[in-house]
This record gives sequence, C-alpha cells and structure tokens, in this order.
Amino acid sequence: MLAMGKSTTPAHRKYVIRTLSFMAGYVAVNVAAIFGAFDEIHGKPAAWVLALVVSAPVAGQMWATLSLMNESDEFVRSLTAKQFIVAAGIAMALFSTWGFAESYADAPHAPGWLIYPLFWGVYGFVAPFIKSSK
Amino acid sequence: MKNRLKLLRVERGWTQEQLGQALGVSRQAVNAIETEKHDPSLDLAYRVAVLFARPVEDIFENPHG
Repeated sequence: MLAMGKSTTPAHRKYVIRTLSFMAGYVAVNVAAIFGAFDEIHGKPAAWVLALVVSAPVAGQMWATLSLMNESDEFVRSLTAKQFIVAAGIAMALFSTWGFAESYADAPHAPGWLIYPLFWGVYGFVAPFIKSSK
Repeated sequence: MKNRLKLLRVERGWTQEQLGQALGVSRQAVNAIETEKHDPSLDLAYRVAVLFARPVEDIFENPHG
C-alpha cells in the first residue's frame, strides 16, 4: 500500500506522505524514549501525556487511511476496507489468543502497544492476497 | 460480473489508464472490472454505458436474467 509507482493516484500519493509523516513522529518519540529522553517523568502524571503523544500518530494513521478511502474510487475504497478488516480481525484474534495465554498458560507478558505493529505486519502479509472487492 | 469492457476498450485503442481517466476512476479499478474482481456500482456502470453510447446490459451481463 505504500508503493508509489507511476500509476498511483493523487489519493495514494497523499496517503504515502501522510503515513510517512505520522510514522516519523511515532518512531521519533519511541526512539527518544528508548534512549532515555523521558526517564525523569517515568511513573509521574506527565507520563500519561507522553503515552497520549506517542499514540497520537496511531489515530493519525487511521485518519490517513479513511482519507485514502474517501478520496479514492469505489474499487480502491472497497479493497482497502476489505484488507483492513481482514488484517484487524487476524491481529485482534492473535493478540487475544496471546492475552488468554498470559492468563491461563503463564505466557510472558506482551505490552498492549504491540497490537499496532502487529496489525500492520498482518496487513502487509494479507494485502497482496486480497485483490478482489468481492 | 461478466462484461465486454476490455473488448470495447481495445476496439477504441484505449489503455486502461485512458479509460480510467475518462470514467474518473483508477487504472486498477478498470483492470478489476475487466477481470471480474469488482462489480461496478450502478453509478459507474451507467458512466461506462454513456461513454460507450450503449445500454448497460450490452456491456455488463445481467446475472439475474
């Protein structure tokens, strides 16, 4: 979905730019956190603000996807919706399975934010196989 | 949905990109209709019919009769 060949539409080009912008923010805040930029606010109320800030690009990405659908033709719109639903369903099923495995089988804890990269990983895997809007 | 879109397009020497531009849709949408991976909406089917100056059922096979 991020490919930008010569036959891509203006809607796709805008989607790629918006996606890269949101991902840059997401990665930048996380890299800063990994390197200790926010260590002094750990456990303090300000950490809730940090959690919201680092999650904001996730909401932004959803907006970018909805905008792509809104600005595209009917085929791209229905294909994107189908790919999104299948990927979200698989990601939720996988993460729910892991959550129950934590509860019942003492599986190691997986932080909730992993659902986002998991979703896009699944999306990247399933999208090439979903080529029909039917 | 079976259709004659590719035949009509090729008769006129148009590419999928050119047909898509004439219809206001992407090349991917034209390809998906030609290969029966997408059933066009009524609105798009009528746009195709107007472009080729033919009734809708001359281009798209009625699956119900």
